[in-house]
Formats: sequence, C-alpha cells, structure tokens
Amino acid sequence: MSLDVLPWIILFLPLFAAVMITLLTRHNRTWSAGLSIAAVVLGFLLSVLFVWNAGWQPATAEMSASWLSVGNLQVQFGLHLDPLSVLMMLVVTGVASAIHVYSFGYMREDSGFSRYFAGLSLFTFSMLGIVLANNFFQLFIFWELVGVSSYLLIGFWYEKASAADAAKKAFITNRLGDFGFLLGILTVWTALGSLNFGVLQQKLVDDPTLWGPAAAGAGLLIFCGAVGKSAQFPLHVWLPDAMEGPTPVSALIHAATMVAAGVYMLCRVFFLIQPSGALPAIAFIGGLTSILAALAAVQQDDIKRILAYSTLSQLGYMVMAIGMGGPTPAMFHLITHAFFKALLFLGAGSVILAAHHEQNIWKMGGLRTRMPVTFWTFCFGGLALAGLWPWSGFFSKDSILAQALSAHHYVYFVLGLGIAFLTTFYIGRLLVVVFLGSSRSAACEHAREAPPVMAWPLRLLAVLSLVGGWIGIESVLLKAFPGPSPEPVAGFSQQLAGPFLHAPAAAWSGILVFALGALAAWRVYAGTKSDPLPAKLGSFSRAMRNAFYFDDFYAATVIRFHDFLAVIADWFERWIIAGLAVRGVHGSTELAGRALRRLQTGNLQTYAFLFALGVAVVLYWVLGK
Amino acid sequence: MSILTYIFALPLLAAVVLAFIPREFRVVMRTAALAVTLLSAILAVVMFLRFEPGAAGFQFEQQVPWVTALGISYHVGVDGINVGIILMGAIVAFAAACCSWEIKTREKEFYILLLVMTGGILGAFASLDLFFFYFFHELALVPTFIMIGAWGRGEQKNYATFQITLYLSIGALLALLGLIALYVQAGAQTFDIPRLLEYVVRQNHPLSESAQRFAFPLLLFGFGILVSLWPFHTWAPLGYASAPAPAAMLHAGVLKKFGLYGLIRIALPLMPDGARHWMPVLAWLCLGNLVYCGWVAMRQRDFNRLAGYSSVAHMGFAFLGIASLTTLGITGAVVVMVAHGFLAALTFGLSGYIYQQTGTLEMRELGGLLRKMPFIGTALVMAAFAACGLPGFANFPGEAAVLFGAWNAFRLVTVLACWGAMVIGAIYMLRAVRSVLHAELPERWTRLGDANLWRRLPYAVLIACLLIFGCFPRLLTDKIKTAQAYLPAPGEHIVAAAVAAAETR
Repeated sequence: MSLDVLPWIILFLPLFAAVMITLLTRHNRTWSAGLSIAAVVLGFLLSVLFVWNAGWQPATAEMSASWLSVGNLQVQFGLHLDPLSVLMMLVVTGVASAIHVYSFGYMREDSGFSRYFAGLSLFTFSMLGIVLANNFFQLFIFWELVGVSSYLLIGFWYEKASAADAAKKAFITNRLGDFGFLLGILTVWTALGSLNFGVLQQKLVDDPTLWGPAAAGAGLLIFCGAVGKSAQFPLHVWLPDAMEGPTPVSALIHAATMVAAGVYMLCRVFFLIQPSGALPAIAFIGGLTSILAALAAVQQDDIKRILAYSTLSQLGYMVMAIGMGGPTPAMFHLITHAFFKALLFLGAGSVILAAHHEQNIWKMGGLRTRMPVTFWTFCFGGLALAGLWPWSGFFSKDSILAQALSAHHYVYFVLGLGIAFLTTFYIGRLLVVVFLGSSRSAACEHAREAPPVMAWPLRLLAVLSLVGGWIGIESVLLKAFPGPSPEPVAGFSQQLAGPFLHAPAAAWSGILVFALGALAAWRVYAGTKSDPLPAKLGSFSRAMRNAFYFDDFYAATVIRFHDFLAVIADWFERWIIAGLAVRGVHGSTELAGRALRRLQTGNLQTYAFLFALGVAVVLYWVLGK
Repeated sequence: MSILTYIFALPLLAAVVLAFIPREFRVVMRTAALAVTLLSAILAVVMFLRFEPGAAGFQFEQQVPWVTALGISYHVGVDGINVGIILMGAIVAFAAACCSWEIKTREKEFYILLLVMTGGILGAFASLDLFFFYFFHELALVPTFIMIGAWGRGEQKNYATFQITLYLSIGALLALLGLIALYVQAGAQTFDIPRLLEYVVRQNHPLSESAQRFAFPLLLFGFGILVSLWPFHTWAPLGYASAPAPAAMLHAGVLKKFGLYGLIRIALPLMPDGARHWMPVLAWLCLGNLVYCGWVAMRQRDFNRLAGYSSVAHMGFAFLGIASLTTLGITGAVVVMVAHGFLAALTFGLSGYIYQQTGTLEMRELGGLLRKMPFIGTALVMAAFAACGLPGFANFPGEAAVLFGAWNAFRLVTVLACWGAMVIGAIYMLRAVRSVLHAELPERWTRLGDANLWRRLPYAVLIACLLIFGCFPRLLTDKIKTAQAYLPAPGEHIVAAAVAAAETR
C-alpha cells in the first residue's frame, strides 16, 4: 500500500464511524463508542506513521479528484499536505483521541450515548477536512459541516430549552460569518481566477500586483469567516452559550476543532491576506476580543464559562498575532492552547461530574485532596495557560509577544502583557476557589476522583501541556512559514532557553506579569467565601459579569431589526399582495363571472361564435405587432 | 418503443385500469398504485444510468407523426436538462404513492388522480413537442386542484383551492399565449421543439427583436406564475398548507418545475434577445423570492406554510441561475430543480406524517417531538439542513453553482441572495426545528409513535437521493454539460471576458 493513501484513510475513518453508528450500531452502546474511538485513535496512529515515513513535507504534496466541473468553475476534492496541515492533522487526531476516550467515561450514563459518539466522529471528520483541504470551496464545505456538527453537539440535550437555543444561536451566528466568507471566496475567484491554494499562491508569487483593488475587501471578507468560527468580536456571543453542550464537547470545540478552524484558515491563506492590506484590522479585532474576553472571564462564576471566556481571549491573542504578521506564533499558540485548554475542560468536566452537575465555583472548594489527579493535572493546564516557564503556554505566548516587539507594535505588546496578567489572575482565581480552602457544598465533600478512563486522558494532556513548548513544534511551523524568524534550534535545552536568548525583554516581562497575576489572585481569593471584587468594582464588575452586555445589545438591535423586517414583509404579504392583489383579482373575476352568466345562453352556436371571436382576437394581437 | 414512453404511460394506463375496479378493493388500488409508480421509478433509474453523458442531441428518442398539417407529432426524448428531472419526478411519485396511506376516504378516486398526475408530469417533462408538452402539464394540473379541494385540510381549504386554480390557470394561459405567439412568429410550421431550435438557432431564422420583447414576458410571467415567482407566489404556501401530503409532494416537488423547465428549454434558446432584455427584471424579482419570502417565512406559525414559503424562496435560486444566462448559472438552476424536488417532497411528506399523528401543524402547539419520533425527527432535521443549503445535500452544489454563475452578471443581487441563502434560510429553518422538535414534550403528545419500517421507506429513499447527488454532483452536472449545445446563453461572453481579463492581468 502506498503511503499516499494514508491521509485519505485518516480523513474518512471518522466519517465511516459516524455512518456506521447511525445506520447499524445505534442501539448498541459499546459498539458505537468502540467504533468512534477506534476510528480516531487509529487515525492518530496512522498520522504518526505517516509523519514517521513521509516527514513533514511529503513528496506528494497534493492529491485531488474533480468534484464539480461546470463551465469556468472547477472544484476539486483534494488534500494539501505541507508542514502546517500535517502537524495540524496530528494535533486534531491526538487531542480528539483523548477527548473520545474521556467521553466514554463521562457520558456512560446518558441515554443518547450512540448519538453522542456519532456526533463526535462527524465533528472530527469535518475538522480534518478543513485541515487537509486544498482549495477554498472544499474548505467551505467542511467549514459548514463543522458548523452543523457543533449544532448537533451543542444541542445534544435538546430537551433543555437553553441547549436548543444555544445550538441555534451558534449555528446562525456562524452563518453570519460564513456569509462574508462566501463573498470573500467569490471575490477571490473572480479576481484571481482560481480557488486552489497552491495555484493562488503561485499566481501571487509570479505577479504580486495581481490582487488589484479587490484585495483589502476580499481579505476582510475572508476574515469574516474566521470571525464567526473563531468567535471574534462582534460575533463572539455564541461561544459562551455553547457551554450548554456536554463538557467533552466543549473541550473538543475549544481545543482541537471549530474555533481552531478560523485561526488555521487565516494561516492557511496568509499569503492572500498579507498582501491584501487587511492585517491592521485583523490585529485590532483580535486585540479587542482578547482584552474584552479576559475582563469578562474575571467575573464569571460558572466554571465552564470562565474557561469559555478564556478561550475567547486566547483566540483573540492568536488573531492578533496573525494581524501583526506572525502566522507562526499564532499557530504555535493554537497548538499549545489545544493541549492545555482540552485539559482544562476535561478537568472541569470531572469536577462537574464529581459535584453532581454543579457548575458554580462558589459551591465547590477543597477538591484538592479528594481529587488529586484532577487537581494536579488542572494545575498543569492552569500554569500552561498562565504562561509559566517551562510550561508550553509560556513559549507560545512569548513568541507572540516577541512578534509584537519585532514588528514594532508596542501598543499590542503592552495589551498582550495586560491580557497575560488578567489570564493569570482569572485562572488563579479558579484554581484557588475550586480546589483549595474548604468545601462549600455537600456534594463536594463527598466528591470522588474520576475513573481511570477519564483520568488517563488528563494525565496525557498534562504531559503535553508541559512539554508542548519545547519539543520542536515551532521549528515545524517555521518550515511552513519561512521568514525572517530566528533559525530553529535542535536540542531540548536550547529550546527551553530559547526565549530568553532571542527576545529577553518579552520573556522576562512575561514572567513578571505571571508573578504579578498569581500574587494578585492569591491575595484576593485565598480563604474567601465569596467574591470580594463586585463590592470593590461596582458597576464595572456587573458589566464584566454580563460580558459587556453584547447579548442584550444584539437582542435589542440585530434581532429586533430582523424581526421588524419580517413583520413588515408579513404585513405586506397579508394586506397588499394577498389582500389587494388576490382579492382584487378575485373580485373582478366574480364580477366578470356575473357578467358572463348572461352570455350563458346554452346556445351552441353562440359559444362557437364567441370561441372563434376569441381566437381571432388573440391571433390579431399576436400577429398585428 | 422508447423507455420514456413506458415511464409515463404506465401510470396513465394504470389509472384507466383502476377506473374499472370496484371501490371495495382498497388494497388492490393501493398495491397497484405503489407497484406502478415503483416500476416507473425503476425504469427512470435505468434510463438515468444508461444515459450517455458525452453523446450529443437527445437520447431515448421516439417520434410518431400525428397532425402533420400543423406539425404536431408525438415526440419524446431526454438530454441533460430533463434526464435528472424525470428521474426525480419518478422517484418522488413513488414516494408520494407511499405517503398516500393517510388517505382514508374515496381512495379509488384519489389513486386514479394520483396516477394521472404522475403520468402527466412525467409526460410533460419527456415531451419534445410543444403540443404534448403543454397538454401533459394541464393533464397533471387539474388533478392537483381536485385533490386539494376534495382531500385538503384546514379551514381555508376552499379559498386555497380557489386561489391555486385561479393563479395556475392564468399562468398556464399566459404561457399558452406565449407558445402560440412563438409558433406563429417562428414560422417553422412545427410544434417540434428540436426542429424549432434547428430552424431558429442553427439555420439562423431568429424571431424579430420586437416579437421577442413582447412574447418573452408572456412566457416569463406565465411560466413564472407556475413556479411561484414573486409577487405571484401567494397561491403556493396556502395551497401546500391545505393540500393532502401526496399532492403537495408531487406539485411542490415536480409539477412546479415545469415552468422553469419551459423557460430553459424553450424561452431562452428561441428568444435570446427577449431574454437579454428581461433578465435584469427577473434577477431583481427573484430577490422577492429569496429575501422577502424568507422574511415572511420567519413569521409563519404553521409549519406547512413555513415549508411553503421556504419552497417559494428556493425557486429564487433557480430563477437567479436562469437570469444569469451563464452555463454555470443554468446548470446550477437544473441541479436546484432536481434537488428541490427531492427536498420539497421530503418536507411535505414528513409534515404529512406529523399532521396525521397530531392533527395540527401549529408550531406553538408542537415541541419536543424528536424524543417520540427519532426517525421522523432526524429526517426533518436533515430536510432543514438541506434547505439551509448545507454541503452533503444536493441543494448545495446547485445553489453554489447559481451563486458563482450569477456573481459576475448581477453583483448586488448575488450578495443579497447570499444573505437570503446563508442567514435568513438558517434562521427560519432552525426556528422551526427548535419549536417542533426540540424543548420539552407537551403532555398531550406523549402517546405519539415513530414511523414503522415500511412507512420510513419513502423518506429514506428521498434522503438517500439528496445525499447521493449532494456528495457526487457530477452525476448530474456531467449530463447537463452535453445539453449546452441547446443553450445559446447570450450572457456567456460577459463572463468569458471577465475571466480573460483576470488571466491577462
């Protein structure tokens, strides 16, 4: 068997599992879970095998078959293999494997077990499709499939009205972004005459002026897609609500799939966006999202919502990095974030399960001794998120800060430090309140450690969260985006010390804000029974708690406006079109009918005469012109 | 004899035979209807598979002269444009026959009308002679009115029957005038469509420009009314909400496409100047379908009315594809016609099942049905996704081709159409899913049951068709490609120039 067939198998394994579960094994829980888990784990092993043999830059970079071919629209279904996609394939299958295995324990008592695993497999398939796509059209197809699988999983407990609403909101908000994305794709197609990434890149290399005046608009429209999928301001509102899904789904959405898709897409087409001149706007949106979300995270009480706003904030960080011209730091942070955010969500899941589905952190406390594995792994995730050396988050965050310095974006550098401070503060708050102190509810006093099927994925991800920064991920990414960045280094020790040598200012200030944030969190929250901040901050705290009222704002403007248009259209339909027009025709027909009744003589000759007259009139009218 | 003749003559023949069977033999009626529609569906699949994508001209042709003085002959044949539609029509007819189990009164008349309608529809799409083309359409149209009037539901049944009859008759009449004008103006002394095309297009006897300008709108609006072109669409939602499920499936799915087919087959190639003159108007009107009807759909409380408005909205894609006058757009329009046929049949079939179980389609009274009806609910979710234009379902390649085709011709219209497709469609469809299937199950519906294996069959077949053409759109588009010889699309040069400009830049 040739090596080339491996990526195809990896891509289609999860789809195969999803189809088999839906058609055959839906009544057999073990088989369904087994199929789904086997598909993704096998996918991961095959990915490793593939990298082992073919390397990061496979000889056959592109494989495709024609999917649609009409006139001047040629759409291929193909795979694009380069360091970026191969690395991402590994990460997606790897993190998804951990989440699949964990789900087997987490969901074991749910009646929709098989449906759940079918959804997970569909989700993994869609994400792999985005990662491996070799053209915009195919990317868009899987983009939509990611949207629909998130809809199915966020609304998994559809009997809960809030879950059903959250699923709907996620899908429609994503659709808003996709609207711009589709227009962006159409613009690229007309301006550059192709949709294939390789061809587009070659065209722009051959003739950098090819973009022409459409560039900035097209760049921003494509970015719209990422704004929806990666939950950037102003379309970020769906992500916190998406917490209504089962916790492992949140882990999947927030780590390896869905929200990663937007950032990945921007990196994939960075060669298009960079010359388009859209970068400053991208950096601005990213920075704004990041700081707003970090502030909101500080005042959330729901453990999952804290993590959700944290994801928003980190995604903003990555988008900001792209906007500053650094796809490598952005992807690097995306990958380390995938490790530690998956870990944090899965840890939160085992806390929630132990606390009998209690999600309010102020009703937890003292879980350190009762759930040691969860505690220690959660600490690893928290430290990686906060960015302490040598955890992975330190290295990726540092590379973003270094990017800001080297590109002379000093405002974003300071903003990045501020966000890093807030990040340490809110994750410190979470750790202190949930795990330390004494229990504040009966459920937490009798909390028990998660079973091994859930604990082992945590341990695995904890290791990755620790080492992810210095096992050479960045040097693989540098192969994908060759540029003026520092030369990749080989040894672990060199990688560990790297940040301090290349950009000491960024590294040391990162360490400093970590220390400040951790200290502040300890001072404010150690030993408290309730949050002291609302009293001190007043209305600002309420604004943070309500995420700056964006939901209310949208409910009052966008939704109201669309409903208003619908009311107008409905009124017009009812009274003008159906009312006047139809009833008018109705009335005149009836009038004509009454008049014609007089003609109904029953005389055949009269009828024949009228018929002939009619035909004559018609023919005269037709021929006379 | 051509396989096409069997496909549409079998149901007609069966209708005649059923007329002689006593009405007590209900099982015989139903079995006969099922068997015959299944047979013609199988024949249609065989025809579809044996169709050679590369060959020029019409395939499976058969011609029998009838009134030689006027140039009328019985002439059937398929090319890429109607091969997919006939396949879709035959399969939908089978599904509609399966879904007819809800009919419990006057079954004999119902099945006879159903078979006449089936035969008429398929005959209209197979005919290559203007006379039979029109005759078969009328043959299918009349049973629709009777079925709504006699077996319809709801309080507004009579008004709905009246309205649909009035509208569709006027539409058909306008189209007839247009066809007569065409016949007279072309001066080829023939009703035969290929010979008309040969005479007008190949031998270069175009109709005078003024004749085209006044004859084209007759066809455009005549056919347009039949397809629920805005603002002549109000018959559709009300009619489908009142119709029995099989009638709605067949009309919304298949018969409605007759107008679009007529535009593509007859109006565009024979009157290119008229087309060029009128297409901007059509492009803006289709926004009425795509955007305005989407908004109206958001306000509906009855699921069938919502589905009706959604189906009107989808016709906007087909109109936009035609209006673009590009190969891409028209191919997309044909794919949309086929895809929407399956989709509309699926939606109305499913709503018929729910109505049969609950006695209402008021969305406020429903809710949480997914728990009680996992199969029907899942199928309905899939239908909703297909209606949102989700990849994997056949609507997606069609709509995508239409949007790509129309992008260069009508930029602003396409932007708004994208908005309708991506956002408005998602809003009303997901709202419907939310209120019918999600949330808690009201007390009164706890005794509902899911469809049994046999009743799942039509839905499963329709979903499978949507998925197959959605995943492998070339099954359709490659066949349509050969039909391009008959599509002298006058707008093609615009796109070609744009592409050439992009390449030389």
